[in-house]
Amino acid sequence: MRFRFAGRVCAIGLLAAGLGLAWNAVSGRGLALGRNVMVKEGDEVVPVAEARARIEKGALAVDARPIDFYNMQHIPGALPLPEDDFEAAFAAIETRLRASSDVLVYCAGFGCEASHNLSRKLKQHGIPAAILEEGWPAWQDAGYPIQEGPRP
Amino acid sequence: MIRLSGTLAEWLLALPLGAVFIYASFDKILDPAAFARIVYHYQLIGPSRVIGPLPANLLAVTLPWVELLAGLLLASGFWRREAAALSALMLAVFLVAVGAALARGIDIENCGCFSVTEQGRRAGAQLLVADAGLLAAALYLARPRAPADR
Repeated sequence: MRFRFAGRVCAIGLLAAGLGLAWNAVSGRGLALGRNVMVKEGDEVVPVAEARARIEKGALAVDARPIDFYNMQHIPGALPLPEDDFEAAFAAIETRLRASSDVLVYCAGFGCEASHNLSRKLKQHGIPAAILEEGWPAWQDAGYPIQEGPRP
Repeated sequence: MIRLSGTLAEWLLALPLGAVFIYASFDKILDPAAFARIVYHYQLIGPSRVIGPLPANLLAVTLPWVELLAGLLLASGFWRREAAALSALMLAVFLVAVGAALARGIDIENCGCFSVTEQGRRAGAQLLVADAGLLAAALYLARPRAPADR
């Protein structure tokens, strides 16, 4: 009796999962299962070690998080470009961005889409920008140097 | 012959509970990518460097259909105890997910409960209470019964 109950519970779950996978495959609304849905064709996503190497070679880091987070801590040398205040912030650092041959955007990590959106916005302005994979938490966890306080 | 079974109390619990699950599934089924983003925000099953985006994507693609099917079964009365057990499992997982997000200070602007658009409700203590209420109803419906009143 107990086995039949558990079997039916599993059957419902499996049937539903099968329907979900089928819908994902044929509905045209589906997502690529192996890919982060925030990453689109043409995005350049860079692991943290490579990001650090590029920053040391002169790449410009850009912080897409809300300004309060930047003011607390950020990657050394990074410029603030909060996604929620794009126009004003972009105007303030546009010359620096255009002067740099390598721009790297980061935000608050997986689950944060600001860096992805920002890199596309910059691309529209003619500035190619790579995205730091796993964002700020990856930088912190790696034990890389951190700068505190607002932009001087 | 199809015959209505279950007490009045069971129907009064199962119909709204089923309706909640059916309603909850629509938005997610129509926009799996938007729901996947919400799953990411919980930061419980990735994406992360170690496990990649696959577990979170699989959950986003399949969970809404479990909700839909469980809701339909609850409301129709067919395999109701089984559907109630599955619903209780889902509600318990939601309870843990929301609780873990709150405990870790992750601000979930949209819990992904019903709507996957920005207007969804924020995950907070209120949500835990509502979830626990539904969980109690699901557990009541899933309780083992004596063979006579099955």
